[in-house]
Amino acid sequence: MSATEGRVEGGAMRVGFIGLGVMGEPMARHLRAAGHALAVWARRPQSAAALVAEGVPLCATPAELAARSEVVITIVTASADVEALAFGAQGLAEGFVPGAIHVDMSTIAPATARALAERYAARGVGWVDAPVSGGGQGARDATLAIMAGAEDDMLERVRPLLGALGKRIVHIGPPGAGQVAKACNQMIMVSAIQACAEAFRLAGAHGVDKAAVLRALAGGSAGSRVLEVMGAKMVARDFAAGVEARLHHKDFAILMEEAARLGAPLPVAAQVWQQLDALMGAGWGRDDTASLLRVLEG
Amino acid sequence: MEVGFIGLGLMGRPMALNLLAAGHRVHVWSRRRESMRPLLDAGASDCASAAEVARRAAVTISMVSDAPDVEQVTLGADGIADGAGAGHVHIDMSTIAPAAAQSIAAGLAERGIVALDAPVSGGEPGAIAGTLTIMVGGDEGACARVQPLFEAMGKSITRIGEAGAGQVAKACNQIITGVGVAAVAEALNFAARSGADGTKVREALLGGFAYSRILENHGQRMLERNFRPGFKAWMHQKDLRIVMGEAHRLGVALPAAAATAQLFNGMIGCGMGEDDSVAMLKLLERMSGGVGA
Repeated sequence: MSATEGRVEGGAMRVGFIGLGVMGEPMARHLRAAGHALAVWARRPQSAAALVAEGVPLCATPAELAARSEVVITIVTASADVEALAFGAQGLAEGFVPGAIHVDMSTIAPATARALAERYAARGVGWVDAPVSGGGQGARDATLAIMAGAEDDMLERVRPLLGALGKRIVHIGPPGAGQVAKACNQMIMVSAIQACAEAFRLAGAHGVDKAAVLRALAGGSAGSRVLEVMGAKMVARDFAAGVEARLHHKDFAILMEEAARLGAPLPVAAQVWQQLDALMGAGWGRDDTASLLRVLEG
Repeated sequence: MEVGFIGLGLMGRPMALNLLAAGHRVHVWSRRRESMRPLLDAGASDCASAAEVARRAAVTISMVSDAPDVEQVTLGADGIADGAGAGHVHIDMSTIAPAAAQSIAAGLAERGIVALDAPVSGGEPGAIAGTLTIMVGGDEGACARVQPLFEAMGKSITRIGEAGAGQVAKACNQIITGVGVAAVAEALNFAARSGADGTKVREALLGGFAYSRILENHGQRMLERNFRPGFKAWMHQKDLRIVMGEAHRLGVALPAAAATAQLFNGMIGCGMGEDDSVAMLKLLERMSGGVGA
């Protein structure tokens, strides 16, 4: 059968989901709430327990999930994880029928996204890289910013699904282009977190009230979403993860390696990367990236 | 000794020639046959594969560009492991990541081969003159056995520690030389933009606490605007990528090396990859409104 046969009614789609973490679980719930027929696979079945208890089918392998889905969405940690899910033993590629689409919403290397898109294309399977920005809060509120790399027709087919997850969907370009935009996003965001950390380190060194500095700056030209959210965490010395710093650290390795390959100098990002290395060395990888403040406190 | 040599490029060719000159019998193989010609003319023997090199010589040396190449010639099809007898010693003198060196050494150990990592410093002039600095990681006994080979290629030979330790020392070398070249280029560009005679600045500084081999040699070439390699910028960039990747893995901050690596990225992006590292001066001039007075 083709991937479009046996479609559930009313524009609803048969959707598979892998990666039921802090981001993935609320995203999967939004898809279900929008009326799509959801099924899941999980490396650790307990991470799917809540959804399974509510009646969501749990497949035994990624291949089985792919075989019953028009679209499979993945949101996992690293390039190697996505590669293994797609083309590893009992991977998605073994189950997809021609016309199916893999939408990867993880943050991975652009080169990996391009290579996977090519391998799928040879089998008549579509690819969309659709990394997100907005964190756990954005995932819960379905307000994620989604940056897509895909051929036009592929993106159009999955746009209703993405629309259930985010409010801003931008088509950047062909496969891999979404990951390029995400790399730019990470570079600006984490560099801004570092700038906030340095500002509050300076305020602390002077002994002035950091909360007052934060209130004052929020209204001015240094105001930003990072200052608002991460600045508040730094002032409160709340280092519990929102997004774990080790994930930003991983993202920086990807983007700095690509910059070296392309011959693009990124002097500020290179320094931020070193601060993240120091953060990891201090053992704060599972804490929030607001811990960049602690790196400066020695 | 009977010694095999694989990787007859800018560095490898003079190193292998020095082994011949010291009276060792050298067996060579190369993917590109024409690169073997100077060695064959000098009396080296011609092999059909890396495996055959290892069958003829109890010690083999590789000098190639990157970890996948080392893996290919050692553990790949028709590689050294396929031809080596019991007690064979393989010396990799390429610059690769310490972690890659350890993993290749472990793979060779499973096949009964003792692996040494022995990267070098000193560039093409050092390779030709036989005055390389050689940093060795791996078994102490094996290191002692191949000492005569090292002595034919280098003058300062130090065993740093176990497998991978030679590559750690080389990474340290690349941090210091990379940051050093950037510092000398910045200083000479700053002198020129300030209207001071760079030649006199260098001369004065050579007598003081800023003295270094890099100020002496690289500084001189910058002043002569001699950007011929030497050590190509893209190779230094590659080495710093290895270093930054290891620092990432270990959670170690290298802020000065990171800044320098970005300058090398800029050189590659501006098409200076085939120039010597001293061409960093040209990049800094572009970042400062052009060539100084």
